[in-house]
Amino acid sequence: MKNLKNLIIEKTRKIITEKGVDCPTITLNSEFLNDLPMDSLDLATLIVSLEISTGLDPFRDGFKTFHTVDELINLYTEANS
Amino acid sequence: MKHVIVTGGSKGLGLAIVKYLLSENYTVSTCSRERNSAIDELLSQYSTFQWFQVEIGNAEQTAEFVRKACTWANEAKLWGVINNAGIAKEGILATFPNIETDSLLQINLHGAIYLAREALRIFLSQNSAGRIINISSIIGSRGYTGLAAYSASKAGLDGLTRALARENGRRNITVNSIAPGYLDTEMSSTLSDKKREQIIRRTPMHRLGHVDDITPLVGFLLSDGASFITGQTITIDGGITN
Repeated sequence: MKNLKNLIIEKTRKIITEKGVDCPTITLNSEFLNDLPMDSLDLATLIVSLEISTGLDPFRDGFKTFHTVDELINLYTEANS
Repeated sequence: MKHVIVTGGSKGLGLAIVKYLLSENYTVSTCSRERNSAIDELLSQYSTFQWFQVEIGNAEQTAEFVRKACTWANEAKLWGVINNAGIAKEGILATFPNIETDSLLQINLHGAIYLAREALRIFLSQNSAGRIINISSIIGSRGYTGLAAYSASKAGLDGLTRALARENGRRNITVNSIAPGYLDTEMSSTLSDKKREQIIRRTPMHRLGHVDDITPLVGFLLSDGASFITGQTITIDGGITN
């Protein structure tokens, strides 16, 4: 859980900084598309990157809604269980 | 070196595209259901060429193909994919078996969507620009008696092109369709002599197209000069749809 949380936050920060913009503080309640300077392609990049790093794909069986960092961590935690 | 993946590269237009790109110093991987003498010849000629056995239209096999091809290409980063693989089956729709429609759409349309998806995942993870070229057909926009499912599949490809161009343009990923007219390939060999003559008569250039009429546009769309062209369906048909 802790590793997944760190991994998701670290990769999110990397994607934002690679765009050349300042990364705000990322909290568990941060909404990817509202509170962070990310668009839908950045979010897709994050998901692909997480799949490469973890081998996990929580979306294999269909769409699952998430908005916040915490909700995404939960999806990966479930996929890992 | 830039790596380009071409589907259906063992014969016809696909083979011509593979040869053209190899001559232009791209690293090229292709796939088909069966390996043939043309593939053997290219494998013996070029260390920058690789072939994989793949059933296009199978999502798992497509993902595996792209993964293996990119591993093989090593330092040559994926730059482009050419969705060329396709089949044509003829028959009036009223009596065209649904199972034939399903298999045609699976290969011509689903296969292209699966490959585009895999390529986009790599472009995004590499944070790199890239090119997707879909080999469509004038039949996708004009229709043709007896080719309803094929026509639908090619129209679908053009829609895919437009949507993906919008979706990915901000990452410098371009997506275009090439719509050839009637080409003198194995796929057109089933045309009756009368039909061939009719097509030639109606074509301002007074001949069927040749694969070499198409390959230079593939090369151009992959080049830096085409970086602002996206979402287009470009027709090469000797003027028949003019």
